[in-house]
Amino acid sequence: MHLIGQVQGIVFENAIEPALYQFGLMDWAETIFDGLEIPLLGVLAIGVAYLLFRPLELWRPVERWAERRAVRTDIVYTIVHKLGLVPAIIFLMLTPIGATIDGYLRFHGYIPPAIEQMLPPLGAWPFVTFLVYVIVIDFGEYWRHRLQHRLPWWWALHSLHHDQRQMTLWSDDRNHVVDDVLAAMWSGTIAMLIGVTPGEFPLVMIAFRLIESLSHTNVRVGFGRVGGAVLVDPQYHRLHHSIEHARAPYDRARGCNFAVILPVWDAIFRTRRRERVFLPTGVAALDGQAVHCGYLAHQLEGFRRLGAALAKLINRRRPGFAAAFPAE
Amino acid sequence: MGNPPVPIDPVFPSRTLRCIAAVALFVLGAATASAKTAIVLNSDDDSLSVIDGDTYKETSRVHIGRAPHHLMLTPDQRYLIIAMSEGNELVFIDRTTGVIAKRVEVSDPYQIGFSPDGKWFVSNSLRLDRIDIFDAATFELKHRLPAPTMPSHIAFSTDSKSVFVSLQGTDKVVGIDLASGATEWTAPVGRQPAGMWTDKAGNILVAVMGSDYIAELDPKTGDVLRHIVTGRGAHNFQASPDGKQLYVSNRVAGTVSVLDAGTLAVTGLIMAPGGPDDMMFSPDGSQLWVTGRWRASVDVIEAASGALKATIAVGRSPHGIFLY
Repeated sequence: MHLIGQVQGIVFENAIEPALYQFGLMDWAETIFDGLEIPLLGVLAIGVAYLLFRPLELWRPVERWAERRAVRTDIVYTIVHKLGLVPAIIFLMLTPIGATIDGYLRFHGYIPPAIEQMLPPLGAWPFVTFLVYVIVIDFGEYWRHRLQHRLPWWWALHSLHHDQRQMTLWSDDRNHVVDDVLAAMWSGTIAMLIGVTPGEFPLVMIAFRLIESLSHTNVRVGFGRVGGAVLVDPQYHRLHHSIEHARAPYDRARGCNFAVILPVWDAIFRTRRRERVFLPTGVAALDGQAVHCGYLAHQLEGFRRLGAALAKLINRRRPGFAAAFPAE
Repeated sequence: MGNPPVPIDPVFPSRTLRCIAAVALFVLGAATASAKTAIVLNSDDDSLSVIDGDTYKETSRVHIGRAPHHLMLTPDQRYLIIAMSEGNELVFIDRTTGVIAKRVEVSDPYQIGFSPDGKWFVSNSLRLDRIDIFDAATFELKHRLPAPTMPSHIAFSTDSKSVFVSLQGTDKVVGIDLASGATEWTAPVGRQPAGMWTDKAGNILVAVMGSDYIAELDPKTGDVLRHIVTGRGAHNFQASPDGKQLYVSNRVAGTVSVLDAGTLAVTGLIMAPGGPDDMMFSPDGSQLWVTGRWRASVDVIEAASGALKATIAVGRSPHGIFLY
């Protein structure tokens, strides 16, 4: 983290601050300085994920493909979503909205409690506090994920993540930009409610991203009976991505293995599936050009699916987004 | 205003927290015995660095609370107040023992200040666009004023009747009557005004961060009397202990300008790269300590020569600084 801080300072001082000054935007200085940490942490996350997980894919891949164009699309997704577009949207759009809501609540006498205030001993143990943040946010992520599969309009967006039939360490970021913004709002709201400061939030999120990269890795690895019960592993998450989920009993709405980091949520809410199998990934109803395309085409495809799902909600006689209603 | 009084928590909310604070601040307490000790608030790390002023080494880093930005002595000099903006509290540290004496719940205190007569306490919420005016004796909230946008630094009139606040998200400074909470004037001074200071003539100085000058204002009307060019990103003020010089940090230029405190003529320029922000003199007045926001460090500068004596690595985004 110290190295990231040094790079952050050098880049900001020599490139960004002079530009802010030139364009009369110095009131954004602290915000952008803090925001710069997100793409830098993104670089770190990509670098660490590649160095740690790519050798695993070469060592014991579940699948080998001669044609890897779909994987290249996921690499573009990773670069755009970890370093550029999404962090910029989240920071420039959602941070002021969050501050406005926070300000309104405080102005009317409600101060969101920090976890340290509810559990005072945590005040002296920042790392334990960090773990508590991860557990609480992970619980929220589990339920967001359940809704992504349950609600037709949200599944229309989330299906972009699932339609990949060449799942690799890069597939974690294969999301529609609207879906990513919704995810940021969801986790950001939970973080605000439990008192995670903006400075701590990127660190929490990088922990999530690393584990999510690993869980998507194309490797024939599980963490065993004990390890797999503690942390989501590639085998566990591959079951969630299984193409079988278009069929009962693991259809889109019910599914299995929704947990992002901690499988305990699946155990508690009876959505856990533990079988020692490595199944093909994808969505049975989705294939062809709509899946094996570039970044922009795939994003447009997401809007098309969303539009179809919304049209179906408004008028039930419309055909809708086919993969959104597998039971029909 | 009709706002309810702000609740005061005179002691720790629990025995557990009291124990934690005692342990956490033990190092700080020990450090205060040193001949010269600096305390630096690392605003992005939620921590406080304690620096030995003789060896220029960080001796400890204590997790203090959420987003600590500024700190100051109480008028009786008994306590050092640390404002935890996102922690929504003021932490009072006993200056003689280094132990936390009390915590006062205040919503998002960013910049803080006491009026010269010690009667008023003002807390700005830069993030939430609000100025809170308290009775300094009881910390009862007297006025809560919307202040779009980014109310930042604070200065007072010499008669303690008015407070002046820079609105960093605009080009304006606002003058407010402390007793009534009424706005006296709003004056354009230049884009992104930041640091505020009351000069020897009783006029108000504003460091204009979006430009390269400080502006001198008439405290009665807000009229701009003159501009004094210092450096790009003029940000904050600090006077020398003898009151003869006034120092201005220039955040973009990475410099500190030295001004004659009486005439406001620029007499020198010191290099201080890394986003120089808050400044503080050593107790003997020989050294100027400057926090570098972007480099996570503190520069120690010989006041007489302007030479860099030491650069000390601290936590992320160091902001407020205080030297015993």
